[in-house]
Amino acid sequence: MSGSGFRLGIDVGGTNTDAVLMRGREVLATAKSFTTADVRSGVVNAVRMILDKAPEHRASIEAVMIGTTQFVNAFVQRKGLAPVAIFRVSLPKADGVPPLAGWPDDLVEVAGSHIYMVGGGALYTGKDYAPLDEDALRAAAEDARAKGLKAVAISANFAPIRPDIEEKAAAVVQAVMPDARITISSKVGGLGLIDRENAAVINATLAELSERVIGSLQTAIADLEINAPIYISQNDGTLITTETASAFPILTCSAGPTNSIRGAAFLTGLDEAVVADIGGTTTDIGFLLRGFPRETTAANYIGGVRTNFRMPDVLSIGIGGGSLVRKGEGGWTVGPDSVGFRLAEEGLIFGGETLTASDIAVRAGQAEIGDPAKVAHVPDETVEAALDNLHQQIEDAIDQIKTSNHPLPLVLVGGGSILISRALKGTSEVLKPAHAEVANAVGAAIALVSGRVDKLYDVGAMGREDALEQARKEATDAAVAAGAREGEVEIVEIIELPMTHMKSGSVQIRVRAVGPLAALA
Amino acid sequence: MFIVDSVQDIQDMARGAVLLGTGGGGDPYVGELFVRAQIKNGRYPKVLSCDEIPDDAFVLSIAGIGAPSVIVEHLVSEKTLHRILARAEAFYGRRVDALISAEIGGANSMFPLALGAISGIPVLDADGVGRAVPHIEMTTFSIYGCKATPGIVMDDSGNVVTIEAVDDRMAEDLCRVVTGAMGAMSFGALYPMTGKQAKSFAVQRTITQTLEIGRAIRTAREDSRDIFESLIDYLNSWDNRTARILFDGKITDVTHDTRDGWHFGRVTMTGLQESSDECVVEIQNEFLVCRLNGKTITIVPDLISILDRESGEPLTGEMLTYGQRVKVLGYSADPMLRRPESLEVLGPRMFGIDEEFQPIESLFASA
Repeated sequence: MSGSGFRLGIDVGGTNTDAVLMRGREVLATAKSFTTADVRSGVVNAVRMILDKAPEHRASIEAVMIGTTQFVNAFVQRKGLAPVAIFRVSLPKADGVPPLAGWPDDLVEVAGSHIYMVGGGALYTGKDYAPLDEDALRAAAEDARAKGLKAVAISANFAPIRPDIEEKAAAVVQAVMPDARITISSKVGGLGLIDRENAAVINATLAELSERVIGSLQTAIADLEINAPIYISQNDGTLITTETASAFPILTCSAGPTNSIRGAAFLTGLDEAVVADIGGTTTDIGFLLRGFPRETTAANYIGGVRTNFRMPDVLSIGIGGGSLVRKGEGGWTVGPDSVGFRLAEEGLIFGGETLTASDIAVRAGQAEIGDPAKVAHVPDETVEAALDNLHQQIEDAIDQIKTSNHPLPLVLVGGGSILISRALKGTSEVLKPAHAEVANAVGAAIALVSGRVDKLYDVGAMGREDALEQARKEATDAAVAAGAREGEVEIVEIIELPMTHMKSGSVQIRVRAVGPLAALA
Repeated sequence: MFIVDSVQDIQDMARGAVLLGTGGGGDPYVGELFVRAQIKNGRYPKVLSCDEIPDDAFVLSIAGIGAPSVIVEHLVSEKTLHRILARAEAFYGRRVDALISAEIGGANSMFPLALGAISGIPVLDADGVGRAVPHIEMTTFSIYGCKATPGIVMDDSGNVVTIEAVDDRMAEDLCRVVTGAMGAMSFGALYPMTGKQAKSFAVQRTITQTLEIGRAIRTAREDSRDIFESLIDYLNSWDNRTARILFDGKITDVTHDTRDGWHFGRVTMTGLQESSDECVVEIQNEFLVCRLNGKTITIVPDLISILDRESGEPLTGEMLTYGQRVKVLGYSADPMLRRPESLEVLGPRMFGIDEEFQPIESLFASA
């Protein structure tokens, strides 16, 4: 690597594809384009705009970082999902709570109920309680092949401490189903069979789509003649390789809000703040704490399915640039329904017939988009009442996400930030940093690389310090393997959970390590 | 008598069971999923009040025993539930007329309902403590002379151990050793008793209580009413019971430690509004004692629960982490647990706390 430090950050959202060219901490150029159905042309359009502004830097780009909400959107909207053959290695245990228990009915239908439970699995000690029933597994795989299934999820009891059981099962299944894309649960989750298996099944439903989308992203970058490695943003705001993202799309499911919060932190230099990302349909309000998004602590649901992923704690409310402005019994209200991406046709300022939040912002003189003459007839009282309602809703949401009454700065990012014109209760100041409209892409461009470990350690036998040391080392090694620069990896999180009712000393240890990308040395 | 025929009811019950679990007892989610699947297939658990069974009915507890973090891997086997019932009936030499939960707080609220759904045997609207406790001898069954053994403990692989202990303190030790050998999780058929004993020694109407607690939280949330007001009103509607919000704040520290199969820990919270108040809750599997600026304001066997201050969701000890915004709830225990003979078994000193039990009503007069 030449060490020029140039990188391209791209955010492929549901509506917009944003791009930013950065060098070190400096934002050199930004661009915004519509997301296209093929993903590729949206990316090409946005990056072309950048290269047109800074053509001399094309060859200097050392890394391309892409954040995308394509996968989580597909899962939430149940679009493009593949039916999955689910093999659980657990008998004689766990037959009372089969895979897909607790899933919403419509998703069970999409995933299909192709469930096969076979013998095998381990105790917490790592000892087998039953051998893997290879004959039953082979017969099940033959049945799945006959059904024409191509996506496979495999789970096994205590796989986080005995991943070899799932790996062996995967080899047996792959031999029968050579074309199958297989997700094993130990790669996508920690302890807790249901949540981990759910993550594996979600991932399997997305595997076909992810290969296609990641492929189009790679084609787009190749078409642009950019010769640099591509990385994808994952949930915690760190990067993974395209191979990893293609095999594990679930790791990208909450990268969108994470990137916008991290981008806001970077653009303002703040360490602690409330961040509101105002889009076309919703406003996502999150909390920036020590430079990272505050994460939820309770169980997390993706599209109605429980998983053990930690997600940014984000509150979504139905306020955006396309929100409908209407008069009801209680006066004027904004949202929660929105014209969404049809704003460019339906909004008054664009010659349409629907009064939207963007029309109010233009009429109030807060923004100059579309044709202001087309909203001149909207009465002042209507504008005032709509702005009152909109600011009130945002204030209420800010109050909910905050941990104390102490006023904090509010950072506005996203295209809809034009809606906000007033001081907001509970905030010390309202900031709209430069490049706020592409904060997501900035968040992608500044991302680090991480490694995680989540396992049971015998602290009684090893001693606590040695166990922690080993967990730290495993997490650090995982970060380096993912592309972090050796020697600069830091441990950012250590969680210890003791196992009760067990011999003294079994502790579940989770460690997360992050470091800068070695490729940007 | 009532039939549990809606998924929403079982979800409400599980939420209520976490609250009564006072931080421990294991997450009822696994059992909840089992019962939900049964309800979808039209197999509904039937719940009877103790008055509805004859004095000579044969009543038995079915309980999951083990580490919460192992239950979430091994889940539950329908075959094992069928087998333990068959083995128990053979062992005791008679048909089981009704099932009863040993402790309503946490995971063991659900396993009798699970077996009830697949066997058709009714479940009594009662349990052995009205909360969660870490030991077999700490139930009202034990305290009032209805011993846990003879009983059986078995695992999914088909290992069966019959236990006949001289007392329930010893039964606890034996079950723990056997469960350890089985991989830190087993199912037990324990506390064989008569209908008359269930009427006299059980804490009554506790399944109803889990359902109504869960419902009070859910409906307040749905109607955008004050969740905690709704919950406190409900809990106070029980005769001779008192509920209070002990603290409102955020978690500034959580420690965990395992010694001899116990989960020790401590949660430290500070007030939200620039207040210097500090609230500490000590954990020993369950939340044991709550102190405000060093002064005890609720102590075991009275109940202490920690809930998310926005959603009102009750939290288990494992779920607590730095930065969470929570409210601490105190609730007087069932009067049976506060009698001298009960305090000898589950009072503060039995957990190594050098304090006398004092009721929440006198420790924390008003909010």
